[in-house]
Amino acid sequence: MSAAELDPLAGARGTSMRNRWPFHLALAAAVALAVGFAAPHLIASVLWLSLLTQAIVDMILATSVGLLVRQNGRISFGQAAFFGLGGYLFAVLMVREIASPELALAAALIGPTAIAFLLGLVIARIPGVAHAMLTLAVGQAFYEVAFKWRELANGDDGMSVPLPRTLFGVDSGLFQSPSSMLVICWSLLVVLLLGLALMARSPFGQLTEAIRENEERARFIGYGTTLPRAVIYGISAFIAALAGVLQTLYDGYISPEMLHWSLSGMALIMAIVGGPKVLWGPALGAFLLFFLEDLAGDATEYWPALVGGTVILVTILLPQGFAGLIAGLGRRAGDRLGWGRP
Amino acid sequence: MMIQLLNGVVYGGLLYLLAVGLVLIFGLREIVNFAHGALFMLGSYIGFSIAAAFDFWLGLAGACLAMTLVGIALDAGVLRPLRKHDHMVTVLVTFGILLVLESVATAIWGKAYRSMQPPELLSGTVELFGQPFPVYRLFVIGVSLCVAGGLTAWLRYSRTGLYIRASSTDPRTTAILGVDTDRLSLLVVGLGTGLAGLSGVVAAPLMALSPTMGSFILIESFIVVVVGGLGSFSGAFAAALLIGQIHNLGAVYLPWASTMLPFLLMIGVLIWRPTGFAGKRT
Repeated sequence: MSAAELDPLAGARGTSMRNRWPFHLALAAAVALAVGFAAPHLIASVLWLSLLTQAIVDMILATSVGLLVRQNGRISFGQAAFFGLGGYLFAVLMVREIASPELALAAALIGPTAIAFLLGLVIARIPGVAHAMLTLAVGQAFYEVAFKWRELANGDDGMSVPLPRTLFGVDSGLFQSPSSMLVICWSLLVVLLLGLALMARSPFGQLTEAIRENEERARFIGYGTTLPRAVIYGISAFIAALAGVLQTLYDGYISPEMLHWSLSGMALIMAIVGGPKVLWGPALGAFLLFFLEDLAGDATEYWPALVGGTVILVTILLPQGFAGLIAGLGRRAGDRLGWGRP
Repeated sequence: MMIQLLNGVVYGGLLYLLAVGLVLIFGLREIVNFAHGALFMLGSYIGFSIAAAFDFWLGLAGACLAMTLVGIALDAGVLRPLRKHDHMVTVLVTFGILLVLESVATAIWGKAYRSMQPPELLSGTVELFGQPFPVYRLFVIGVSLCVAGGLTAWLRYSRTGLYIRASSTDPRTTAILGVDTDRLSLLVVGLGTGLAGLSGVVAAPLMALSPTMGSFILIESFIVVVVGGLGSFSGAFAAALLIGQIHNLGAVYLPWASTMLPFLLMIGVLIWRPTGFAGKRT
């Protein structure tokens, strides 16, 4: 069954639109990539490049939380576990010389994915508040291990991660210089979003959305619902782990804070503020919050209050998040100009 | 050994005071209140300030009263307007309130740790099982037992209690049957928050006061609520005592794993029974 047949709106959108979306998507991705490659030449301030790089890592993490909301309808308060797990696996395997840096990197991405997939088989079946609490508990369990186990990575002091001279044959200095790391992180984010956009249009993506909307009916039609949910968990953890590895590469440092539930909560807030119903919403939310923090400047001590206030205002005034607002405005403008819906 | 068990009851009692507030609020509003730990912290600080100016008992009463008012404001100002929203969104809003309250406490009382002395009346020790045991800890056990007893009797024998139990079982049907759940919720959220304030003051002499003091105990009381079963009062009582023991015995006999044990218990219970020991809702 093709994606188009499963999509009830496909007919209404008209055939021309259906054929043109891959073109639009490719164009958007190409423009985004070009902007990324141009950015280091346009932005002179190293401080800004560095801030942007950190913001992009946050954007990747928020995207992973948003994916769970969008494709699974599940709220996770434990996404930092996979973020931190990625960073820790990479750092510990490399520093202890258990694996070559390249292998450590692969393990740091595959490990959390596999763990999340297996966990997903169990916890994805539990809905609502209990699910949120369960993810919180699982996440804190990982945090406690990293916090208590001093021999692993110095417990709560954290551990610095010296990089090898080369990684995948390139000078590893590239990963710690803002101008190159910005391009690397941005390109990865664009590729991720592109992949997620394609997945959302695939039969699998449509199936997960059907399960999100009504799991019982999806089962009636004859689909297994646990496996698709678990696969989404795996993908989401993969993205979170990627963000964790990128942060570890860039900072050269890991600490249990990477796994703490307050980071999970932050990531969730970023996703909700941005609007998880739109693919790029969580990334937008992360971007906005990151620069809100920078604007706060001297008032950093009261930064939590600013985030708290933002999330309260946005959830009340903009239930769809900023991306929902922008998408809504875009659609209205498009209708007025007589364009088809994208 | 007996002393260890008693210490476990002390911690379990504190957890119960927090967890029962969470259960009350969940029953009416169907949300898990992330701000509860911050309310606990706020109660602690208010009690601390009043106790420093006057005395402990006035601090205890003042904090309970102030936190009850905060709870009523929370319900009227936040939870009621948001009741038509997705409950998970409201949960996020309470997370936002948590962040705001922590900043407020930092602004007023600063980040430095503060400590509070128990009142003179309760500051000595008594001989129990051949060992000295602080009277204040017995007082904590007494307070939580009194609250548990009073609350249970009130819920079981009063008309309001009947309405609250009905709402905790099924809020929608209760509303259809003519119970004004919004008015009830004002009372219930006020009571739950007041209990958070009470446990904050009662716990203050046992721990260091800081703006983030509520976050650890919040997570453990979440575990209590979920293990006991969302919306179940008796389940919360049993689970609080159980977690209290696990917390304390773990710290003595399995120090490397002590903070993990409650999480593992919760994961196990939820996988085995997604509704917890005594709950019927998820």
